[in-house]
Amino acid sequence: MSADQKVLSVKNLKTYIYVNNRCNKALDGVSFDVYRGKTLCIVGESGCGKSITASSITQLLPKLSRIESGEIIYHSEKGDICIDQLERNGPEMRALRGAEISMIFQDPMTALNPVYRIGAQISEGLKYHSKNTLAQLKQISIELLQQMGIPLAAQRVEDYSHQFSGGMRQRAMIAMAMSCKPKILIADEPTTALDVTIQAQIFELIDELKQRHNTAVILITHDMGVVAELADHVAVMYMGNIVEQGTIDDVLRRPAHPYTEALLKSIPILGKGKQQQIIPIQGSTPDPYQRPKGCQFEPRCPYATEQCQIFPDSQPISGTHEALCWHSEKVLSHA
Amino acid sequence: MFIYFTRRLLYLIPMLLGISFLIYLGLELTPGDILSYLLPPEAIADMKPEELAAMREALGLNDPFIIRYIYWLGGILQGDFGYSLASGVPISQLVLERVPATLELSVAALLFSTFLGVILGSISALRRGSLLDNSLTIFGMIGVSIPEFIFGLSALVIFALQLEWLPVGKRLMPGYDSYWDHMPHLVMPAMVLGLIMTAGVMRYTRSSMLDSLNKEFIRTARSKGIPEWRINFIHGLRVALIPVVVLIGFRLPMLIGGTVIIEQVFQWPGIGNLFVNAVRGQNYPLVMMISFLSVTAVLFASFLIDLLTALLDPRIKLE
Ligand SMILES: Nc1ncnc2c1ncn2[C@@H]1O[C@H](COP(=O)(O)OP(=O)(O)OP(=O)(O)O)[C@@H](O)[C@H]1O
Ligand SMILES: [Mg+2]
Repeated sequence: MSADQKVLSVKNLKTYIYVNNRCNKALDGVSFDVYRGKTLCIVGESGCGKSITASSITQLLPKLSRIESGEIIYHSEKGDICIDQLERNGPEMRALRGAEISMIFQDPMTALNPVYRIGAQISEGLKYHSKNTLAQLKQISIELLQQMGIPLAAQRVEDYSHQFSGGMRQRAMIAMAMSCKPKILIADEPTTALDVTIQAQIFELIDELKQRHNTAVILITHDMGVVAELADHVAVMYMGNIVEQGTIDDVLRRPAHPYTEALLKSIPILGKGKQQQIIPIQGSTPDPYQRPKGCQFEPRCPYATEQCQIFPDSQPISGTHEALCWHSEKVLSHA
Repeated sequence: MFIYFTRRLLYLIPMLLGISFLIYLGLELTPGDILSYLLPPEAIADMKPEELAAMREALGLNDPFIIRYIYWLGGILQGDFGYSLASGVPISQLVLERVPATLELSVAALLFSTFLGVILGSISALRRGSLLDNSLTIFGMIGVSIPEFIFGLSALVIFALQLEWLPVGKRLMPGYDSYWDHMPHLVMPAMVLGLIMTAGVMRYTRSSMLDSLNKEFIRTARSKGIPEWRINFIHGLRVALIPVVVLIGFRLPMLIGGTVIIEQVFQWPGIGNLFVNAVRGQNYPLVMMISFLSVTAVLFASFLIDLLTALLDPRIKLE
């Protein structure tokens, strides 16, 4: 692991969102590292803060939100950059967006501007991050679209987004995100809006690009099958915390947090047949404005004890594996 | 695209035919001798009754209605709009005399309101909730709710009568007729009309812009690391402009039809003014013909709006 090169370190990140004068502690102390050429998958129930984690990294946060404390350090080739210290839409932040860290969003139907040609949109970022002539930019757009597996790319760059299918639009989005050969690619549920057959192709494409360009990928997904397939590292989030993280084997085979354990039991695994037992997680996620005092999962947790009224310390399980639970030993032995 | 618009243009023909038919029906049904509309007054004055009767026959006034209508329509197509009841001057001449004044005022007000409205509206949206936005919102509300004549009259009282900065209405001072002498006269009506129209454009641009700035493609644009002005204007405003163009397009008929109230307040010798005088003088043929021209202008404007939105919005399918 130490041989791996860190490209991004997030340390104890707290991002709060203010709605109607109430504070939603959307991220309440999130720490993780991202390594060059590796895929980190972030999983967790809806509203647990996955998207806010992703958008904190590029500071594409909702207007009324703030990084309260913690650090986001981008280990660039020219030295470390504290992203959390940068002005939100200032020149330093802009220099990173698209060029070093780029994003793909959930819904390709609405993520593209309807009035500009696909090609122009693909190369728009590159126009600002490099010195290319218009003719070169167009050529690059064509090549990128080709690499994304779109036939007749030279003609398709002239199309508008409404002339593309959902899958093609997401490929165009990926072409756009990859246009400056970023070091980090953040994909926030990139296939939720697409057909199942297309989903696999898109993930395959992202994985292929990761390997070809040695890009670090942060992939947010609900699909455990995809996690098993693509992830090198997994972070499980619950109510603004990463409750468990580690390598894929650590987390999927030896879950040490009750939530991870419950999550894995709650989803069917393809190929296991009809006999498998699917147990939904009991209870529902608490109101983000009325959080439990201690461990956030405590009200739903079968392992909960008196001790869980106190917010747990991170428990190291192994060198690569940690869980935010007082009872991780018990969970481990249970599995 | 070309085929679509040719077809769209051809559709105008039956509509115009229908409207012209109604107009002609109106002309025939209104009181007064249709002959005095069809012939110059001198010609009628010189004629004896039997000559007039012969004239009626010659003009086909005894023919069936539909034939009369076709003759009349043929005349229109050749630019013969008939004669004004009041002065006996050909209507086409009356209208043509007024067109420059109306065009001058409408174009000035349209350009002024479009530019100012779009600029203020987008700034308002970008600075949403700021003091500037709130003041513009209040001004906008005053602008849309205040009656034109009150605004016009107050401007006259303040700038022409009290401060004496600008001339009181009319288009030309006797004795001055170089083009630049028009300008001081144009300023006030154009500003008043322009400001009133700006209010609408501004409100509309603001809400359309707020809408488009909330779209996801704005976040995509921002994720590329491009400058904020490019995100706001090249992405946000460009998309927001599509509905604004429709609003502005609906005002194009004003270029022909003029603006009744403002032309009246400032005694601006445009078509709106001509129209009011025609109504007052019960000069039905003139009223009808101006209405006909205005309706034609509305039809062509709606055609132009379609053309413009299709050019601005590639999503519009033209098959
Ligand atoms: N634009 C916003 N305005 C206000 N609150 C927000 C906004 N976006 C997210 N939140 C809040 O932040 C918290 C975390 O949301 P986030 O979008 O990160 O969830 P998520 O894990 O991405 O969920 P999903 O799987 O549904 O995408 C939630 O409590 C949510 O209500
Ligand atoms: Mg999300």
